[in-house]
Amino acid sequence: MLTVCHLYPDLLNLYGDRGNIIAFVKRCRWRGIPVQVEEINLGESIDFARADFLFLGGGSDREQELITADLRTRTADLADAIEDGLVVLAICGGYQLLGHYYRTLDGTEIPGLGILDFYTQAGSKRLIGNIAIELEFGGHKVQACGFENHSGQTFLGNIKPLGRVLKGYGNNGRDGFEGARYKNVFCSYLHGPLLPKNSHLTDYLLRLALNRRGDKRFIKGLDDTFEKNARRVMLRRMGVK
Amino acid sequence: MRIRIIAAIAAGKVAHYLSRIFGGRGSSLPGVVALRVFPGTLEALARQVPCAVLVTGTNGKTTTNNMLAGVLESCGRRVIANREGANLITGVTAAFIRAAGIRGGLKHDAALLEVDEAAFPQVAELVKPTVVVVTNFFRDQLDRYGELDKTVSYIKTTLQRIPAVKLVLNADDPLVAQFAGVGRPFIFYGLGNRIRGKEAQTPTREARFCPLCGKEFIYAYYHYSQLGAFRCPGCGFARPPADVEANTVFTTDHTTHCSVRVKETLTQVILPTSGFYNVFNALAVLGAGLWLGIAPEKIAASLSTYVPAVGRLQKFVYKGRPVYLNLVKNPAGFNESLNLIGSPQPKDVFIALNDNDADGRDISWIWDVDFESLERQKQILCFVCSGRRAEEMALRLKYAGVPTGKIEVHPAIKSGVRRVLEGMGSGVYLLATYTALWPVDKILRRYAMEVNNADRLSSLPRPS
Repeated sequence: MLTVCHLYPDLLNLYGDRGNIIAFVKRCRWRGIPVQVEEINLGESIDFARADFLFLGGGSDREQELITADLRTRTADLADAIEDGLVVLAICGGYQLLGHYYRTLDGTEIPGLGILDFYTQAGSKRLIGNIAIELEFGGHKVQACGFENHSGQTFLGNIKPLGRVLKGYGNNGRDGFEGARYKNVFCSYLHGPLLPKNSHLTDYLLRLALNRRGDKRFIKGLDDTFEKNARRVMLRRMGVK
Repeated sequence: MRIRIIAAIAAGKVAHYLSRIFGGRGSSLPGVVALRVFPGTLEALARQVPCAVLVTGTNGKTTTNNMLAGVLESCGRRVIANREGANLITGVTAAFIRAAGIRGGLKHDAALLEVDEAAFPQVAELVKPTVVVVTNFFRDQLDRYGELDKTVSYIKTTLQRIPAVKLVLNADDPLVAQFAGVGRPFIFYGLGNRIRGKEAQTPTREARFCPLCGKEFIYAYYHYSQLGAFRCPGCGFARPPADVEANTVFTTDHTTHCSVRVKETLTQVILPTSGFYNVFNALAVLGAGLWLGIAPEKIAASLSTYVPAVGRLQKFVYKGRPVYLNLVKNPAGFNESLNLIGSPQPKDVFIALNDNDADGRDISWIWDVDFESLERQKQILCFVCSGRRAEEMALRLKYAGVPTGKIEVHPAIKSGVRRVLEGMGSGVYLLATYTALWPVDKILRRYAMEVNNADRLSSLPRPS
């Protein structure tokens, strides 16, 4: 049984990001892999050690502050689970939260959880639009696409990016990187949501989660015609395929 | 100044004329052109009209504004209104230009303008409204606005800056009801009791937390989304008593009947449309009527002849079967549309999803729509997905559990509409985002006429 842990679904629920949970769960069920979803709300206890896939979405500024305070009390547990290979998908605000801090336009530094080595700086211009990236996993280069919408610009320290920007802004619109990757943690600015149409990535996350439990079963392919079509339309429109 | 306004109006009128010739609707272009020629055009024109009502909020703007325009016209007043829903500063300016004489003169009694939430601060500063109606706030086209919180706070500060404005506020939406605190006279409208009390549809509740203190609201019941009897356990902010309140509501296939208390008197309102949310729009109109000095009976009489605008549950007939067209633009509204197609008759459904600027370029909101509710609905024979993001719509339905064999993708709107009209069901429902709406409407009219010679019902009301 895989346990999907959806953090703060009531608060971090911008831009249809719950589609990531829907995609992960459906692709398990279509393959007969038992899966359950646990929703963790403000103040509720979390056992990170029991989780197989953790999802952190983005929220508005006010909600972001509420949950950072709540998560701060569990930072050590989360960091341990991440070292242990917990599969995490963190999008937008959830991504920024895992870094050192978020510096606002007036220079105030709002501390993050400091689990991963990057920081975010508020920009004067919001980075909005369709985005295509190239990422590498399991020895293959693949393309993914989505929609980004962030005013924070993230700069990576000693940590790998998730991918390279083909079209769009990515982390900060300057260095050509998108997202961050550490062990089994995947951080990204891509809404859309990310997982439904980028099903190759979803299956990779699923495989990592199973492997971590010592489950080396063969993951059978699914008919991904709908997924590929949805992806291809956007990649073509952006002129990258 | 005089020369410039005349030049701006002339340019706007020429743009309107040319746009009509080339098949456009001319709802925004004249405004774009005129503002380019003379940026002060809107202010100069608006100043000549003694009364301006602005309707803003996420859902219900077009219907509320058009209902209100109908009411004032039935009272013999001459009105300016942006009826087609062009609600940015350009569309508002265009409405004035169409009404203005060639020398820029206006002899109208009132301007009734629906205004986009993000454009509201700018338009309100220029038009200086007498009355502002705020309907509700849902997530909508966020890629233009940033988060909802910001939009709401900009409107709030704008209301504090306009002197002598009177407000009409939805009491059931906490994000709107908080505007009573801006220090302007206000009237509240809302649904009286557990008329539609039901379980929360959590995925689209935008405001679960008190905008004043951040505590989670406790609800006695919901109408839809975050609308309902809210109460904050932290600061005591709660759904206020309403001056205009619907006590009973019942709907038939084609009409909605409600009994409304306006201050101390009861009025019966019959709306010739079946969408439940139209009750809120009618209540807003009754509320505005209180500020404008129009008797509730007069308003009720006018509302009973209301004709829905394009895509507001518009009805067609094709080969003897009913065909409905409804605009969808955000999760709250889309969920309401899905409720409408939940009737037990077999039917075919068409969804056109575009991602142009006016639709919102980010279509991720479709993942917040409760399509999972469709899984149980075996009576939908076929889903035709159309528009620029047809493939993504199809993907959403697949992940909602709709069998892929029932999903067809026709990105071209014309072929999609034709396909769904030939469906085997006893009715057809077409849902379209903003920029897909007019193409769908145009094709629908043509085929409904051509193939079966069925006239579009000129109006829904057929009181029997």
